[in-house]
Amino acid sequence: MSLKVRVRNAESGATVDMELEGENTVDEIIEGVAGYWQKDAGAYVIRRGKKLLRGQQTVVEAAILDGDELELIPDPEGGC
Amino acid sequence: MPLQRYSGVGLRTGSIDDDRWERSRRIDWLDMKRVASARVLVVGAGALGNEAVKDLVLSGVRRLDVVDMDRVVRSNLNRCVFFREEDASKRSLKAEVVARRAMELDPGADVRPMAGRVEDLPEGSWKRYDIVLGCLDNIAARLHVNSQSFYSGIPYIDGGTRGTTGKVQVVLPPSTPCLQCAMNRTHYRTLELRHSCTGSDVTFFQPKIAAEITTTAVIAAVQVREAIKVLSGCGDRCISHVAHYDGLSGRWEELEIPLDPSCPNHSAQNQMC
Repeated sequence: MSLKVRVRNAESGATVDMELEGENTVDEIIEGVAGYWQKDAGAYVIRRGKKLLRGQQTVVEAAILDGDELELIPDPEGGC
Repeated sequence: MPLQRYSGVGLRTGSIDDDRWERSRRIDWLDMKRVASARVLVVGAGALGNEAVKDLVLSGVRRLDVVDMDRVVRSNLNRCVFFREEDASKRSLKAEVVARRAMELDPGADVRPMAGRVEDLPEGSWKRYDIVLGCLDNIAARLHVNSQSFYSGIPYIDGGTRGTTGKVQVVLPPSTPCLQCAMNRTHYRTLELRHSCTGSDVTFFQPKIAAEITTTAVIAAVQVREAIKVLSGCGDRCISHVAHYDGLSGRWEELEIPLDPSCPNHSAQNQMC
């Protein structure tokens, strides 16, 4: 099973299309797009709609569908 | 007594304006007695910690412990309301400065500094707190505070900033997802990396992250408001999972965190049940 999703970069508004397999994980999606956009080292999360997706979930487990739009957002860790 | 004039009518200030909490008491859901009697732990006395302690004390919290191991440096002064040039010159301990200046705001408040690592707090000490606010700058300390609060059954309000973005997560154990439920591989990669804004006293690895006062103030204010709601028995009106803030667009968005069945905090909780 292969499907296409669009991932939006919350910080820049840029998008990238990804082709995924059912066994790909959310962790892999995050690392893939973070690498593609050469994001700074740090924590990021992926959301679909109002829900954050768990890193270990596969595409199938996360119920990601063909044509879905995901968003990569930085997880703010600072505070000092 | 000072004379006030309004529409040509002379008004004298009365006891109503002698009461420090008179305006707060006008908020119907706010339980000022409970807020005043609560014991609160603020972990981190940096930018978020400064703002959070200021807001807590002004909100009527009287018993407050502040833990931080760092010292004040000059680059803290763009966003830390309690720090002064002299504190940076002396490299004073952040927790001690925050506690001292917070008690100047309200001499009736008992704000105790704990200069050291939060990891060194005795395990048994967590249960004496009614709520914990995380004002931290690294994932390792967050995970520690998250698990200690969770196992002790204490509500935990975590704040984080990155430039003009920020987030507030409310953890009400055992029912809501905790911080660890929302973490993925990118968090664990940075786990041992300390996001220091000060530098020289710590093992250092990556560029300092952007930080400014308006985002800090917004995030800390929401942390304190959520804490006050929990203390006032309005936990059901809190941010249910996590709220992300984008200061550039001025937008808040509340996002759902799925509870992670493999999260050690929740699985341990299930075993205990």
